[in-house]
Amino acid sequence: MFDKVYQSSVTMDDTPAIQTSDLTKLFGSLIAVDSINLEIKRGELFAFLGPNGAGKTTTINMLCCLLKPSGGSATIMGYDINQEPYQVKQIIGVSPQETTLSEHLNSMENLALVGHLHGVEQDKIYTWSKLMLDTMGLTDRAKDQVRKLSGGMKRRLSIAMALIHNPQIIFLDEPTLGLDPQARRAVWDYITRLKGNKTILLTTHYMEEADFLADRIGIIDDGRIAALGTSSELKTDAIDTHTMVIYAWNLTQKVILELRSRYEEVKISNGTMTISDKKLDFRDIIDRLHAAGSIVRSAYIREPTLEDVFLKITGKELRV
Amino acid sequence: MRFWQLFIRSLKETYRDPLALGFLLAFPLIFMLVFGAAFGSDTTPSYDIGIIDDDVTEVSQSFVDQAISEITIFELNVFDDIDTARDELKMGEISAYIVIPSGFSTQAAQIMQGMEGNIVLDITYDESEPMISEQIISSVNSATRYFAQIEIPVTINTNPINIGVNITQIDFISTGIIVFGLLIMIPTSGRIMLRDKESRFLYRMLTTPTKPWEYIAGYSLSMVLLATIQIFFFILLGWLFGMDIIGSLWLAFAVFLLTAICSIGIGMVVASLSKSENQGESLSWLFSMPLAILSGVWFSTEFMPPYMRTFADIFPFSHAVEASRAVITRGVGMEAISNDFIFLVGWAATVFIIGTMLFSRTMRS
Repeated sequence: MFDKVYQSSVTMDDTPAIQTSDLTKLFGSLIAVDSINLEIKRGELFAFLGPNGAGKTTTINMLCCLLKPSGGSATIMGYDINQEPYQVKQIIGVSPQETTLSEHLNSMENLALVGHLHGVEQDKIYTWSKLMLDTMGLTDRAKDQVRKLSGGMKRRLSIAMALIHNPQIIFLDEPTLGLDPQARRAVWDYITRLKGNKTILLTTHYMEEADFLADRIGIIDDGRIAALGTSSELKTDAIDTHTMVIYAWNLTQKVILELRSRYEEVKISNGTMTISDKKLDFRDIIDRLHAAGSIVRSAYIREPTLEDVFLKITGKELRV
Repeated sequence: MRFWQLFIRSLKETYRDPLALGFLLAFPLIFMLVFGAAFGSDTTPSYDIGIIDDDVTEVSQSFVDQAISEITIFELNVFDDIDTARDELKMGEISAYIVIPSGFSTQAAQIMQGMEGNIVLDITYDESEPMISEQIISSVNSATRYFAQIEIPVTINTNPINIGVNITQIDFISTGIIVFGLLIMIPTSGRIMLRDKESRFLYRMLTTPTKPWEYIAGYSLSMVLLATIQIFFFILLGWLFGMDIIGSLWLAFAVFLLTAICSIGIGMVVASLSKSENQGESLSWLFSMPLAILSGVWFSTEFMPPYMRTFADIFPFSHAVEASRAVITRGVGMEAISNDFIFLVGWAATVFIIGTMLFSRTMRS
């Protein structure tokens, strides 16, 4: 039922779902968003990854026609955000960073309200609200005032409210902010169900979230897009060194010095050896350790993470 | 000494919040300024008094010129007949009227010649203004006794208007309380919008294709409904406590409803200009409490200096008090309060246009 109702919004048009051209926002002398150029395809799940204050929410606010850009332009499904804000608002659904719900209305009433504001026909409101509650696992809490719901439930309801009118584009601003790992995983599952059916722009400062959910990722820092691509593209392009992690006993000073003479970086911490270099010879390292009398308990090549990519590109760690 | 640390923390929280500190100091200051300016000066009140000279003689004329005119708080208006004066009194154009009876000069001449005599002056006044009527009667009494340097025995026959209806203090105060209750809708309506703003629920609504006027209409309609219920209960309670409604209940209701709409509109303007619920609430009270004092909600504005009355008249509430009091206690119709009524309609329309414009600005800020 969900797929039947909500699959229809991705059309086979070539127009990008979201397109920005030098999109800029200034707050006084502070450059919050600095000339962002972006093209998001229809049906794509695009993630903005960046620390707090990087400009993610400001960008979303401009695209949702809540903030007037200081410069540049943007279109949503071909509609100009400056010239046609009401057309834009017809086709988007937004789940803000805060769980912005009407606390004294119940889940059903919250959904129905947003549905009405988006112009959903009266006869569909009830059916679609029930469907969304079912999809988000909230059916048994339909009649509860939302102030009684847990943080995770509120977040799911918030996402449901962004979907109630079957929008073509969904903006999810930090959809799992403040949730425990279990609740976060549940929200990820719901978002995954939407993938391909909707164009989704998601902001997050959780790397694993962007890695798990996004088709493409834009790393944003100080208002600028520092890197853009799929998760593997970013890792491949940005990280040209490989890292091997070894847990071993009886590591001698001699073998450590020997490895340091052959590889770029060799670190020892709590019995764990980490070796990094552009070229790593897995067999050679293991053989040398065995020859030196070390007992290797485990060894593996560590995949680069988005954290490594972020560190490499921006020169700083991504702090939450 | 944990309490000491908490005490220090509370002090720091207060003095490091300029807005809170400002309101803390500004509230008593503004109250003192408003009360002081309104009631602290030596301003002599001024009353419009009607004169009907039924004697039409030189003596009666000189009585008016030399005795009544000498009362500094009176502004005299001469009428040819009682009916016109009564209508003016009912409409609130004059505070009282004095009838100099025919035969006045004959009686005065007899007294001057040392013969027995008594002059009866009829004073008809608006009983819904008890403080004012008392002052008028007392002034007439003392001024007329020494007309032509002779003590003349004058009997003042007082006629409160609306004879047959026992007007009590509750009639006067109830209208004020109702308008005050509606004035309190300024912080109430502002709070509702600001709560949505602060909880960011407004943010979500702004992502929908809803237009500014639709938000304003949505917010205000619920408030108007609440105001209607509130007015109903106010009138009912006033009636239970003995308030007599002389005029049209529907006209009084319309005046109160317009007052409520003005309050709701002002609340929305305040909400659009405020950044937080606390700020909006403080601003609303700072605005509404002095207005309540100046608008004659609790005290008659006759005792205030003219500039304060002029200032109060810029806002809708003094007009609301005046119009509703005229309808309820004096039984006047639409023609008598049309100016106040139109003023209220104008205010309601203007404040809603400004509210919508400010809200549109909020939407794109």
